[in-house]
Amino acid sequence: MKTFLFILIVVSSGVAAGLIHGSMNLIFVEPSLDQAIGIENQHLFASGEEKDTPEFWIKYDGYRTWQKSGQVLAGGILGISIGALFGIVFALSRNSLPGKTDVKKALVLAGIMWLTVYFIPFLKYPANPPTVGDPETVVLRGILYLSFIAISGFGAVGFYKLSQKLKTKKLVAIIGYAAFIGIVFVVMPENPDQITAPVDLVNNFRIMSAFTVSLYWLSLGIILGSLWHHYKPHKEIIPFN
Amino acid sequence: MSQSRQISVSKNGIPITAIVALAIIFVAGLFVVGFDQGHIFSLVYGDEAFQDLYIHELTHDMRHAAGFPCH
Repeated sequence: MKTFLFILIVVSSGVAAGLIHGSMNLIFVEPSLDQAIGIENQHLFASGEEKDTPEFWIKYDGYRTWQKSGQVLAGGILGISIGALFGIVFALSRNSLPGKTDVKKALVLAGIMWLTVYFIPFLKYPANPPTVGDPETVVLRGILYLSFIAISGFGAVGFYKLSQKLKTKKLVAIIGYAAFIGIVFVVMPENPDQITAPVDLVNNFRIMSAFTVSLYWLSLGIILGSLWHHYKPHKEIIPFN
Repeated sequence: MSQSRQISVSKNGIPITAIVALAIIFVAGLFVVGFDQGHIFSLVYGDEAFQDLYIHELTHDMRHAAGFPCH
């Protein structure tokens, strides 16, 4: 394994997929975010914390433009972060992944990780727009969300390893994981926050959020798989005499 | 005449340094985008950072969009 090339491929594919994610969010998710923050502004005016003046809007617009640039930057950072995890798992599991090419293998793994560490946790603790979260419960919600992701991810790996050890079919591991995560899904506490924002806004936000995160995983699989196929970091050139 | 020859082999060994480096990148990036409430900048700016929430505000939109708990 060529260490430097391996890390370079993982980081480049992560940042590329992350920038795609951030840019797609500007198109698909920002309208919902603007709408939700608009509701927050109305609350600020109603409570007298802020005044509905031209000065407020000039400051607000500048602030939001800065925050939207942060969306793309954060996309790059998050992309590298999740991409690093993906790279580790891909390198460790490449030989056992189905598919003849690296792109197919990477897409299979991206699909498995999308399902276990993103989509199933999302179904339990769906994304919420601004105005929904209660600042008092943010630590609890963070712990619940991360714990669920960790339980699901390690659960999937655990059932796969178990089926390997017992030499059973992969289907047994899938059924085992499904039963396990089903129980965890029911047992884990709900998000404690009440949703007071309009249902249409929340639903639209969640659909768009899930859509762009899914685009991220798809891009990550394709880009890492293609770079891996092209540069073959697992092959080492050694002298032969 | 000496001739140098080389062979391309496939090795399964993943260097531990690469795994450690990527694991650090994973945790640090996830913390910055998903969870920082002033912690990182407080190392330099002290308690003020917990009021400013610079990283929280900058990553705010992605924090919501990627499904992390916020506010």
